[in-house]
Amino acid sequence: MHAQQLVNAISLGGVYALFALGFTLIFGVLNVVNLAHGAMFMLGAYTALQAVLFFKLPLAVAVLAAIVVTAGAGWLLDRFIFAPLRARQAPHLAPMIATIGLAISLNSTIQGLFGAENLRFPVHGLAAEGLRLGDVQITWLELQIILLAFLLMAVLLWWLMRTRMGTALRALAESRKAAALLGIDVEGLFRLTSVIASLLGGVAGVLIALYTNAVFPQMGQPMLHKGIAVVILGGMGDIRGALLGGFFLGCAEVFSVAYVGSTMRDAVAFGLLFAILLLRPQGLFGKAAQRRA
Amino acid sequence: MEWLETFWATYSTLVLSIGTNVLLALSIYLTLVCGLLTVANAAFMGIGAYTAALLSLHSGLPFYLSLMLGALLPAAVALLLGPPTLRLSGVYLAMATLAFGEIVRIFLLNSESLTGGALGLNGIPQHTQWFDVVVIVIAALYVLLRFSGSRIGRTMVAICQDEVATELMGLNVRAYKLFAFALGAGLAGLAGGLNAHFTFFISPNEYGFDRGVEILAMGVLGGTGSPWGAVIGGALITLLPELLRGLGNYRPLINGVILIVIILYSPKGIWDLTRFVRGKRAAAAN
Amino acid sequence: MQLGRVLFGALVAIGYFSSLSLAQIKIGVAEALTGNAAQYGVPIRKGFDLAVSEINGSGGINGQKIELVIEDEQGKKEEAINVFKKLIFQDKVLLLFGPTLSNSAQASDPVAQGAKVVVFGTSNTADGITSIGNFVFRNSVTEADIVPVTLKIAAQKTGLKKVAVLYGNDDIFTKSGYDNFKKALEALKIPVTTTETFAKGDVDFKPQLTKIKSSNPDAVVLSALIAEGAPAMVQSRQLGITLPFIGGNGMNSPKLFDLAKDNSDNLWVGSPWSIENPAAENKRFISAYQKAQNALPDQFAAQAYDAMYIVVQALKKVKLTGKLEVDRGALRDALPAAQITGATGAFKFRQATGKDGKPAGYDAVQTAIVMMTKGNQYVIQLNEATSRAGSTPRP
Repeated sequence: MHAQQLVNAISLGGVYALFALGFTLIFGVLNVVNLAHGAMFMLGAYTALQAVLFFKLPLAVAVLAAIVVTAGAGWLLDRFIFAPLRARQAPHLAPMIATIGLAISLNSTIQGLFGAENLRFPVHGLAAEGLRLGDVQITWLELQIILLAFLLMAVLLWWLMRTRMGTALRALAESRKAAALLGIDVEGLFRLTSVIASLLGGVAGVLIALYTNAVFPQMGQPMLHKGIAVVILGGMGDIRGALLGGFFLGCAEVFSVAYVGSTMRDAVAFGLLFAILLLRPQGLFGKAAQRRA
Repeated sequence: MEWLETFWATYSTLVLSIGTNVLLALSIYLTLVCGLLTVANAAFMGIGAYTAALLSLHSGLPFYLSLMLGALLPAAVALLLGPPTLRLSGVYLAMATLAFGEIVRIFLLNSESLTGGALGLNGIPQHTQWFDVVVIVIAALYVLLRFSGSRIGRTMVAICQDEVATELMGLNVRAYKLFAFALGAGLAGLAGGLNAHFTFFISPNEYGFDRGVEILAMGVLGGTGSPWGAVIGGALITLLPELLRGLGNYRPLINGVILIVIILYSPKGIWDLTRFVRGKRAAAAN
Repeated sequence: MQLGRVLFGALVAIGYFSSLSLAQIKIGVAEALTGNAAQYGVPIRKGFDLAVSEINGSGGINGQKIELVIEDEQGKKEEAINVFKKLIFQDKVLLLFGPTLSNSAQASDPVAQGAKVVVFGTSNTADGITSIGNFVFRNSVTEADIVPVTLKIAAQKTGLKKVAVLYGNDDIFTKSGYDNFKKALEALKIPVTTTETFAKGDVDFKPQLTKIKSSNPDAVVLSALIAEGAPAMVQSRQLGITLPFIGGNGMNSPKLFDLAKDNSDNLWVGSPWSIENPAAENKRFISAYQKAQNALPDQFAAQAYDAMYIVVQALKKVKLTGKLEVDRGALRDALPAAQITGATGAFKFRQATGKDGKPAGYDAVQTAIVMMTKGNQYVIQLNEATSRAGSTPRP
């Protein structure tokens, strides 16, 4: 049983990490707690679902469609909500409230269009097939999710560390004023971040919808709560932190179910979160002092 | 007057809800002014609600006493919770208070013998009268308005702007923050007790993340320039679903859009919009 | 001129008398039409719509047509209270149906009781609702009545000796389902190997299922709604658990076959309604619903449909005076005796006791149908003929 629980922990962790990547990116660069990330997640899932159901496209194309739609939504989010608020020097909570409004609007629009019940991707076959390694059962889809989480993280890290644009983004995250003085296109980068973060959320949505066989308008909400916990654990704004935080939370949850008792699962997870915040508030990878220029 | 009777019969719950929501917004107002972003007030509301309700149901205590105790317990918890958590700032504080809130909710869910767990507490006697709510809201508003103009209020604003400078001036920043936190907790607990006694039934899930975010939205939407902002925010968030009732299925959508529009055009909250009026009056007075 | 006046007078008289008989019966409907609970509230509303269109189409009740005043209570308790008050005091309905969730009912039913208006729930199954008072009615059979029957039949037919339990511990419906399962398991002396919980919105049940698997039960009792129950079943099959599942009321929905595709077999469920039930009234309901809505009905629609007919049967015996208070009281007095055979089978009321021990509201008495899923169908295992299906006395 222990080996299976370990595998369960890693695949759950992969799910959480995937969701947290986009969430932490927006916080790290734009300094916004994006409570609409759950809605982007849901939007990606529904886009892919409609592509498959209505337009009868193959799954790979549907995922691309989800990427396009959520990237576009991310662009709109920055253009019409974040950017105007930045221009008006809004207090730093204002964008968060706006994302709450956006999440409510998106959720109810989708619910109005597609109904409140659970829907399902009509795919079977390879993705759901299981793999048996000794005592342990795992499906191909779970493996894909874990691999994809790592892959995306690797790609993002490479981009941040090795490319000019990535370096500019890191500079921006460090200090907006300094970046502007250096001639970096601050607004453009903000927009790009919003686009990337949203499409990451959308991809996570499609994958997790396939994994759990459930697409419903509120699907982003529980993920959002967990996502916030992941990002705190790993360190706000840090990509590696999102990944490690995701796996850490996955392990904490699975092991507390397996060895403590499933009723205490959330208590353990949040208790840990609380303890970490008191002992090491910056999380595993965050910077020790938060300076805002 | 029959019209008044029908109106009250239909809308009494709504009016009382406005009152308790205004109280909740006021509870977070003080902490927002201090720059403290806490989402814990939903949990404090829950603690207050359960305390007051359990006392009403099981002990013979009079309503006002239960209500008082329902306000004092969350305040006490806040005093305990405050020192370690208030060291954090910004979003970290928000997350810590969120974690605390979830822990409270899970505790309520799992202590079935005491709180009824997921099944909730029902049959809570209807003790809340409209004058209770009115008196309490006016009292809270008065106190907070006095604070705003006073040294305490100005200190809090100073803390929000630059904590280090305020500390250097010899002011005990930690004490002020703790005071705001505990007072907010007490107010939220009071709101919880009042709410429990006009809705017959409470359950742990009402005091979770969604409620916490809603309270925050009330505070920010109304504006942190003045306690009146909290009044506006609380009233608006309560009334909006009712005003939009005619829109049927589009209601949540319009709700969300209105939230976005208000924040976009008045990021400091609605109260900020009145500064034009106030500014002109001040200029005219000179 | 004389003729003109007579004719005019006659017309006025005709108009007056026909308008009297054309006065409509206002019935309130407070259900969750938006929000999470809409997946139950919307089919409920459709069930009412179908029943009303049939009744009005065949002349109404004693010549009067039914007018439904429909409000959305969003699945929130404060909204339910507000909507109830509006329907009772502003729209002045004769009685009202709803709300959708048991949580909301606990908050809003006392309002109806206090105002002496009948409130009729079609989807409230938790405890503590009909004990509110004698104006509270429901035709949703509670888990307390169904679960013992389901367990007994499943135990008989699968020969199980011990079970593991998995339930949602933060939702009043799944939690009270669990309480009833626990009581029934003790009564049948079936030991529990392990009890695991999950929360609403969970997507991953593998930790709990792994633990269940290693505790070696003969079957798994699952108290869940479809949103969690379906993934739980899928993941259990993925983990190699081939045991039968025994589900509560929430698992009785054809959506299971879509959401748990290829993994939905071997689930035992009890319910007063089954889409496979070949009874004539049920078949008529199903085909009428399909024609009107272009989709198959579920148990929520069926119960709402029957509830309207129950009320109509009582109303047929009541002489409406036009004075609201009198009529509301007359309806309340006539309702307990109503009996029909509808889509959910033979139905009658049974009075419950209140918290103070005195007689209070009215629960449903219906036979349970125990089914097992096989090949994307709910195959009926047993259609018990006795009415008091092994229910244990409730406080």
